[in-house]
Amino acid sequence: MAEDYILELKGITKIFPGVKALNNVQFQLRRGEVHALMGENGAGKSTFIKVITGVHAAEEGEMFLNGKKVRFKGPRDAQAAGIAAVYQHPTSYPELSVTENIFMGHEIRKFGMIQWNVMNQEAQKLLDRLDADFSPTEEMGALSVAQQQMVEIAKALSTKAKIIILDEPTAALTQSESEKLYRIVDQLKEEGVSIIFISHRFEDMYRLASRVTVFRDSQYIGTYDVDGITNADLIKAMVGREITDMYPKPEVKIGKEIFRIEGMTRTGYFKDVSLNVHAGEIVGLSGLVGAGRTEVMESVCGITKPNAGKVYLDGKQCRIRQPLDAMKEGIILLPEDRQKEGLILNWGLGQNVTLPIQSELAHSGFNDTAAEKKVAKQYLEEVDTKAVSIYDPASSLSGGNQQKVVVAKALAQKNMKVVIMDEPTKGVDVGAKAEIYAIMGELAKKGYGIIMISSEMPEIIGMCDRIYVMCKGRITGCLDRNEATQESILQLSMEKGNTKKEVAQG
Amino acid sequence: MAGKSGREISIASNKSALSRVLSWEGALVLIFIAVNILGVILSENYTAANVLRQMPRYLAEIFILFPMGYILILADIDISVGSIVCLSATMACFAGNAGLPFPVVILVCLLVGLICGAVNGAILAKFTELPSMIVTLATQIIFRGIAEVSMGSGGTISYTNSADLIPLTTMAGPFPISFFGVVIAAVIFIVVLSKTTFGRKLYAIGSNKTAAYYAGVKVEKIRFIVFSLAGLMSGFCALVLLSVLFSANTTTGQGFEMEVIAMAVFGGIATTGGKGNLVGGFIAAFIIVCLRVALGLINMNTQLILVIIGLMLIIAVLMPGISQRIKTMKKMAKQS
Repeated sequence: MAEDYILELKGITKIFPGVKALNNVQFQLRRGEVHALMGENGAGKSTFIKVITGVHAAEEGEMFLNGKKVRFKGPRDAQAAGIAAVYQHPTSYPELSVTENIFMGHEIRKFGMIQWNVMNQEAQKLLDRLDADFSPTEEMGALSVAQQQMVEIAKALSTKAKIIILDEPTAALTQSESEKLYRIVDQLKEEGVSIIFISHRFEDMYRLASRVTVFRDSQYIGTYDVDGITNADLIKAMVGREITDMYPKPEVKIGKEIFRIEGMTRTGYFKDVSLNVHAGEIVGLSGLVGAGRTEVMESVCGITKPNAGKVYLDGKQCRIRQPLDAMKEGIILLPEDRQKEGLILNWGLGQNVTLPIQSELAHSGFNDTAAEKKVAKQYLEEVDTKAVSIYDPASSLSGGNQQKVVVAKALAQKNMKVVIMDEPTKGVDVGAKAEIYAIMGELAKKGYGIIMISSEMPEIIGMCDRIYVMCKGRITGCLDRNEATQESILQLSMEKGNTKKEVAQG
Repeated sequence: MAGKSGREISIASNKSALSRVLSWEGALVLIFIAVNILGVILSENYTAANVLRQMPRYLAEIFILFPMGYILILADIDISVGSIVCLSATMACFAGNAGLPFPVVILVCLLVGLICGAVNGAILAKFTELPSMIVTLATQIIFRGIAEVSMGSGGTISYTNSADLIPLTTMAGPFPISFFGVVIAAVIFIVVLSKTTFGRKLYAIGSNKTAAYYAGVKVEKIRFIVFSLAGLMSGFCALVLLSVLFSANTTTGQGFEMEVIAMAVFGGIATTGGKGNLVGGFIAAFIIVCLRVALGLINMNTQLILVIIGLMLIIAVLMPGISQRIKTMKKMAKQS
C-alpha cells in the first residue's frame, strides 16, 4: 500500500432485522488526519462508528489496523487497540466526579485499592492538556455540556487512544464553545492522534477536516479532499439531489405588530426582556446556550411562571397562566427537545398531531377519531412527513421528520398567530433542514409571526428579518437583517470585557 | 405548502382481525374459560348459581380496580385505597348506628372516600416532586390510623341496623345486585378511558408527562381528579363490603391495593404508565374471582390460593416479553 493508513475498512455490511444498515461501505483513515464522516440522518454513520468500536459485529467486510487485519469481539477489544469514541450525548455518570468518570472501567489501583490521589493528578494533567477550566474533583452533573464533552475526550486520552471518534461533537455547543473544541482537535492532531468526526455542520468540516467521506442510504458515496469540494457538491452527495437555495427567505411585506412582550422577568433566569414581532416577520433570538432564550419563551407560553412581564397579542394583553392559555390565544411553541417535550414517542404520528386539538374535535368529550385521522393526514402530508401511516410510532422517524410532525402539530391548531420555534433544526440533517426553512418561509408568507431561537449563526442570518441577541438573561441588542453578521451577533452575545478576545479568536 | 413529493400517508388501521383475537385480552378470555372448566372439574358445586351467590364478597374490591387502572396508566400508584375502604366503612357504621337514614349513610360512606382521595390528589398536584408511592404510603397509615382511633379499643364496629343493608344484597334473578354495580362501573370506566378526550389525556400523561404538559394537558388537574375518583370508588367498595360483613374492623380492606394492582397488571396494564386498558383488567378480575370461588369450594387453604394467584401474576407480566422474543425469533428465521 502506498498510503499509510492507520485504519482501513473494506466491504463492510451490517444487517439489522429487516434493514441493511451498511451496504458494502469502505473507509480509510490516514495517520494523524482529521477525517469528517457526513451524511443525512439514517445514512449509517452511527452504525459504522459502532462497527469500528466493536459494539456491532459486521456481517461482511474486513478491518485493518496499522495494516494488520483485526476483528473486534467487543468494545473492550477496540479500546485495547487504541480506538475511543466520544458520543453525541455524553454517556457519563452525573453524580460522580470528573476523575471517576475519566477512569471509569480502568481505575488506577494498587493492591486492589483505588489510588485516588494518583488518579486526581492524572486527571488534572489530562484536563490541563485540554486547557479545561474546571477541576477533576467537580461533580460531572454540574458541568456544562461542553465541559462534559471535554471530560469524555480526556477519558479517551486516558486510554492512550490513537484513534478518537467524535460523534456530532458540536451539536450541543455554542459558537465559542465550538471554537474551543476546534482548538482541542487541532492540538490532538499535532500530537499524532487520528480523528474521525461526524457532524451536520459544514463549518466544522471546513475548519477541521482534511478529507471527508460521505454515506447515503447505507452506502459509500465517496471520499473527497475538503479543499477541492464546494458546499453544493457536498450537499448533492449527501442528499442525492441539489438544494438550490438553502435559506428560501421569501420577500414578505411585513405587516402590523401582532405580538409583543414587555419587561418579562424571572428571577435567576432572565430580566426585563421586551421584544415584538410583526405579521409575516421571522424574528431570531440568538445568544449563547444558557443566555435564557428558551426560558423566556417558556415563560411566555405559560410553562414556567415569570415574576413580571406582560404579553400582548394584537395590542391586547393576554393572561397566560398555563400552556393551554397560550395555545388558546394562538401562541404556539415548538419546544427545543422534540423527544421529551414535543412528542409522545410511543404514540402514532396521528395522535401526536391531534393531541392539542382533540378537545376541539371531540363531541361532548367523546373523541371524533374519524375527524382526527383526517386532520392528522392533512397536516402530516402538508409538511411532507416521510411516513407510511398515521399509526407509525413517532420514535420510528428520523430527527428531521420528527420535527416535521411537531410542525404539523402546530399547524393543526387553527387559531395559531405566533409560532415560536426553539432550535428547530437541531440534530436535523441537511435535506430536512432545507424543508423546515421552506415551511418557515411559507408560514411567514401567510402572515404568521415567527420567532426562531437558534444557536446556528448561518440559519439565523439566512432566515431572519430581525435578530434579538441575548446575553446572561438580558437582551443586549436587536439587529436588522442587513446589519447582522456572525461578528455583530457574537459581539452582542458576549459579556462585555472579554468580547474582543473571543471575537479575535473566532 | 402541500408536500412536494405528493407522498400519501395511510389512515387505515394496520391491525388485522387476527392480531386482535391473538391479543392479551383474547388470551385472558381463554384463561377465564379454562378457570371455569377447572372449577367444574374440581367441584360439583361449581355451578353458575353458586358462583354468583358467592361473588359479592369478592366483587367489592373490583370497584377500586377501575380507578387504579387509571392511576397506573398515569404512571402513578395509590396504595392507600385499602385504608380508605376501612375509614369509609367505619364512618358509615357510625352514621348508621347514629340513626341516620340509609341514603345519608351511603352519602357519608362515599363522601369520606372522596375526601380521602381528594387529599391524596391535592398533595400530589401541589407538590409535584413527591412520588405517589410515598404520599399514599403516608396516607395509608394516616387513614387507617384515624379509623382505628375512632373504633376505639375494641378495634371493631358493627353496623347495628343491619336491615338497612339488605337492599344491597338482593338478588336480581340469579345475579347479586352488586354485580350490576360492578358492570355499570366497568362500562363507564372503560368507555371513558377508550373513547373520550379525558382517557386520551391519561395515556398522554403516562407516556410522556412533559410532552403532555407542553401540549396543553392540565396534568395536575387530571391527577387530582383521578386520585379523587379512586377515593370515591373505595367508598363504593366499602358499601358492598359492609353489605357482606355488617361490620368494619382494623383489618378491613387491608391488602386490597395490592390485589387490585395485581388484577390490573394481570389484565395488561403496565405499571410504567401509558399502556394497557381496562377490558383486560376486568376479565382478569373475574378470572381471579372465579378461581377463588372454585378453590374455596374445595376448601383450599386461603394462603395457598394467594400463592397460586401470585404465580399467575408473574407469568402474566412475563408474557409480553416472551411473545416479543418469539416474534423476533420468527423474524430472524424468515430472514436467514
